[in-house]
Amino acid sequence: MMIMPDEEKLSSYLNKSKLISNANYEKKIRMAILGGFTLNGLEETMRVKCDEKKIQCTTYVSGYNQYNQEILDEKSQLYKFSPDIAFLIIDSRNIFGELLLNPYSLSVEERKQFVQNKSDEIINLVKTLVKKSNSKLILSNFSIPSYSPIGINETKEEFGLHDMVRNLNQNIKIGLRSEPEIFIYDLNSFVSKFGENNVFNYKQFFYGDIRISLDYIPYLAEELMGYVTAVLGLIKKCIVLDLDNTLWGGIVGEDGFEGIKLGNDPIGRAYAEFQYNLLALNQRGILLAINSKNNFDDAIQIIKEHPNMILKEDNFACVRINWNDKVGNMKEISDELNIGLDSMVFVDDDPVNIEYVRSNIPEVVSIQMPADNCHNNSSHLKSIASLFHVLKITDEDKARNKMYLEQKKRTEFKTQVGNLEDFLKQLNISVSIKIADDFTIPRISQLTLKTNQFNLTTRRYQEADIRKFSQDSKKIVGCAQIIDKFGDNGITGAYIVNKDNEQQWTIDTFLLSCRVIGRGVEYGILSHIIEKARRDGISQVRGEYIKTEKNQPAENFFVDFGFKKEGGFWIFNTKDQFKKPEHLVIS
Amino acid sequence: MTKTLFEIISRVMNIPTEKISDSSGPDSIPEWDSFNMFVLLDEIEKEFDVKFSLEETLEIKTVGDFRKKLEGKNK
Repeated sequence: MMIMPDEEKLSSYLNKSKLISNANYEKKIRMAILGGFTLNGLEETMRVKCDEKKIQCTTYVSGYNQYNQEILDEKSQLYKFSPDIAFLIIDSRNIFGELLLNPYSLSVEERKQFVQNKSDEIINLVKTLVKKSNSKLILSNFSIPSYSPIGINETKEEFGLHDMVRNLNQNIKIGLRSEPEIFIYDLNSFVSKFGENNVFNYKQFFYGDIRISLDYIPYLAEELMGYVTAVLGLIKKCIVLDLDNTLWGGIVGEDGFEGIKLGNDPIGRAYAEFQYNLLALNQRGILLAINSKNNFDDAIQIIKEHPNMILKEDNFACVRINWNDKVGNMKEISDELNIGLDSMVFVDDDPVNIEYVRSNIPEVVSIQMPADNCHNNSSHLKSIASLFHVLKITDEDKARNKMYLEQKKRTEFKTQVGNLEDFLKQLNISVSIKIADDFTIPRISQLTLKTNQFNLTTRRYQEADIRKFSQDSKKIVGCAQIIDKFGDNGITGAYIVNKDNEQQWTIDTFLLSCRVIGRGVEYGILSHIIEKARRDGISQVRGEYIKTEKNQPAENFFVDFGFKKEGGFWIFNTKDQFKKPEHLVIS
Repeated sequence: MTKTLFEIISRVMNIPTEKISDSSGPDSIPEWDSFNMFVLLDEIEKEFDVKFSLEETLEIKTVGDFRKKLEGKNK
């Protein structure tokens, strides 16, 4: 049995798609679906899935097998529609044609040449689309057939059929990997996950050129949604875990240190494997936290001392082991880590806890992993991987766990020092301001997509936007790296300034990652901008505060600095004095 | 059987069961295009645990055809 959250039937999505109201959600996306074969139902399913995630989705579906013409013709409906994201779903029949059925009618050299030509064609085609539009493009790769007409000799054959498809996949990967707007969807893995004999159904194929059978369209849509949420920055950042019967088998309070199951028996191996999968996610930047009803000393002893614990104390950015309410603990974890509840996933074996968290904090994705099915925990975790998709894993992501541990030390230090002013002075904060370059552009874009709290305008910009702005002489795109005695916070501040004219600059974007809020660095960055304006002979700098549900922490920023409200803008006259924060070194 | 069949048709074709009769087909049901016909076929196969061959599929033009084919298979 495939261990997946069961998808609904395609017909159920088709019906739901008729009921979508034109809700005006904050998140919007324009989606194009270009198919090399019949993909009916995919568009409807994507719209329903978007609606469930409160994304307003407008779609365009290309004519049947018209993708080539639509991409090449600048005046096509595709470009008129102007998508934010385009899915190009084609398969090996589109590329190989009848050759797929009889590949050995060509010689080895001809086969190599064929694949080379086709690879170049596809690469050029998709590059054309992103050049002619502002869209991200998701191209599916090709499923390697299981059958070969030469049977068991396939694996001996030089550049055989399977090699041809494999090589095509490899060529498009290498040819497109450095294109920031193009991503390859691994359709080959999709087919192997569900099985070629299930996904491809001859009857449906002959009947209506359906090459991904109807049952699997909802699963395909679910995987493609991972790109939609990544483009929109709707990303889960933290997995909050229960302990007993979630990270290990048994209950520490009853079974004791030696009695819990971890590592050595079949049940224990399931939990160890689950921990390994969590560790790998943690190392790529997903935070882990604990929310467990337990005696702190009993549970922490297992984490610190149990020989088979894969996750160590340092893998957890925040720990709540107590007898308090789990909802209260969730809120505390969200506060301590400074990430929204809607960025959190909660995992527990107990249906009561899951239901309790789900009904009180619906924005948390709560997942039950029942103890009597603990062998499924790892596949369950893998099946929700799309919640964590980001378009690019940056250095900041990889170092995130370390940064949160440093943050823990900072909080402890703050409690020791007691007084905020002394604490800030003793932190030895240095703010290093940099103009956007190739290394920082991806991170600046990521910050605009992800930062919700200290963000004055919440304008979301893709990497290509930031790159364009950074080359514009009428704009300044900058970022700030913040370092203190406990470590390097990385690039955690960003701003975009428009040089309106000889007298005036406007702050288009100003944001600070939640990790560094509350240390006065925002005043340091703003004073840097004001000083630069002063040096350039600019008389006033203005900015906006666009209120959202989440950016209350930035509400009083301009007034506190000394800006005056005039109409919709906050204005600062560069002749006026301002108090530069003394506890920072700005460079 | 007829009741279940009509319910599936109603759901897939998005019309009330009262409006379905043996003579219903692409002419009287606006949503009955070749794709929805196939979705319908897929659901009926699953619900009644039967399989239609490609040839049988192509012979089905109306609700009545569906009913007759199903009766034939359930004997």
